[in-house]
Amino acid sequence: MPDILVQYEAEIWVSIGETFVMVGVSILAAILVGLPVGTLLFLCKKGQVLENRFIFSTLNLLVNITRSFPFLLLVVFLIPFTRLIIGTAIGTTAATVPLSIIAIAHYSRLVEQSLLDVPRGVMEAAISMGASVKEVVFKFLYVEARSGLVLGLTTSIISFISYSTIMGVVGGGGIGDFAIRYGYQQFKTELMIYMIIIMVILVQLIQFIGTTVSRVIDKR
Amino acid sequence: MIKLHNVSKSFSTFQAIKSVSLTIDKGEIHGIIGASGAGKSTLLRLMNLLEMPDDGEVEVNGQRLTNLSSKELRQARKKIGMIFQHFNLVANKTVYENVAVSLELANIPKKEQKSRVLECLQFVGLENLIEQYPAQLSGGQKQRVAIARALANNPQVLLCDEPTSSLDPNTTAEILSVLENISKSLGVTIVIVSHEMEVIKSICNRVTVMAAGEIYNTVLIEPKRIQNINNSPSYFVEQLIKDGGKVNA
Repeated sequence: MPDILVQYEAEIWVSIGETFVMVGVSILAAILVGLPVGTLLFLCKKGQVLENRFIFSTLNLLVNITRSFPFLLLVVFLIPFTRLIIGTAIGTTAATVPLSIIAIAHYSRLVEQSLLDVPRGVMEAAISMGASVKEVVFKFLYVEARSGLVLGLTTSIISFISYSTIMGVVGGGGIGDFAIRYGYQQFKTELMIYMIIIMVILVQLIQFIGTTVSRVIDKR
Repeated sequence: MIKLHNVSKSFSTFQAIKSVSLTIDKGEIHGIIGASGAGKSTLLRLMNLLEMPDDGEVEVNGQRLTNLSSKELRQARKKIGMIFQHFNLVANKTVYENVAVSLELANIPKKEQKSRVLECLQFVGLENLIEQYPAQLSGGQKQRVAIARALANNPQVLLCDEPTSSLDPNTTAEILSVLENISKSLGVTIVIVSHEMEVIKSICNRVTVMAAGEIYNTVLIEPKRIQNINNSPSYFVEQLIKDGGKVNA
């Protein structure tokens, strides 16, 4: 291992850990909140089973507004909110708040798009068999859209990693922050390059897993 | 078995069904034929309220569907099977799972599901394809899975929306004989929408002719049975030269 990596090994591991916490919480938020929000966006569309203009327009607007913010501004803008729910706006835990919010907006849009790919006839067959909305979603929609949902999540996770790199501004840490503080600001270009390599490997790995899983579960 | 009373249905400004009344008796194989846009599919979809009528009453099996709560309607739909032109199977479920899902919706315990699924697949002759996915099946096989799925909950009525329109003549005959068998051995009332005269003539007892959203006439016929289709090359050549074609050209 190169000397410089040995020298900073402890700090690097801490940074990787911070990145994993930030991205991990974002993934959880995406699945636990983004998936239902995206599903609701789809179901409330015109012509769908829960057609509801008010809910659709409201969610649509919220998702659009969140995604229009330059992410750095969103982080700063959310500081009071973060302080309200975490107690502080600084640190890795606090950093997960803006990350989760962008994660929800990001993934819900991709969920909506994947669900739009499900043939209308499959939904009709479900309804003709007497399925409730909940059954339509869990026994038909998600089954039919599953590979798209996985690919969407993969794309989202890679974006979350990218978003997490700027959380240094609120003391969130992470590999990106480490690369900037040590590699860029302390002119250790070599260290910066190693950090970039770690990120590249991470992204490749995630994309590989995502693509493979989505291919294996796709029987269409 | 099925009673439509003055039902009307419009899609924005287009009136698809104009105050239609129709009674279909128990055990009948009832055909609905008409040009595209005549309203035949819409009429069929009104029978399980896949389309809500703007006006009028729909009664199936003594239940007035138009008066039911959404929960009661879902219950009633489990006793009304439906098959479609494009089969509408769940592509990510196996043949077995596609049939089992309709039993799941009816809250049949997992243990009892298996024998029922196998029974239905046996009925349509697919018991050895249970682990396949729809993408691995031919069109005729997909439609047979859809029929098995529709039959799983012992429906009293089977609604067929252009069931053979995306199938070749051989497979059409195959599907029609399955439908005929359902009518004969299970006593299920069948409604078939089709634009193909041959299909309607071969198995229906009574036929409603639709035009411009209205019933043009209803005709009682003697089904002329399903014709065996000759698929041999010599038959093809024979047909082609019948009207003056030249061979070995």
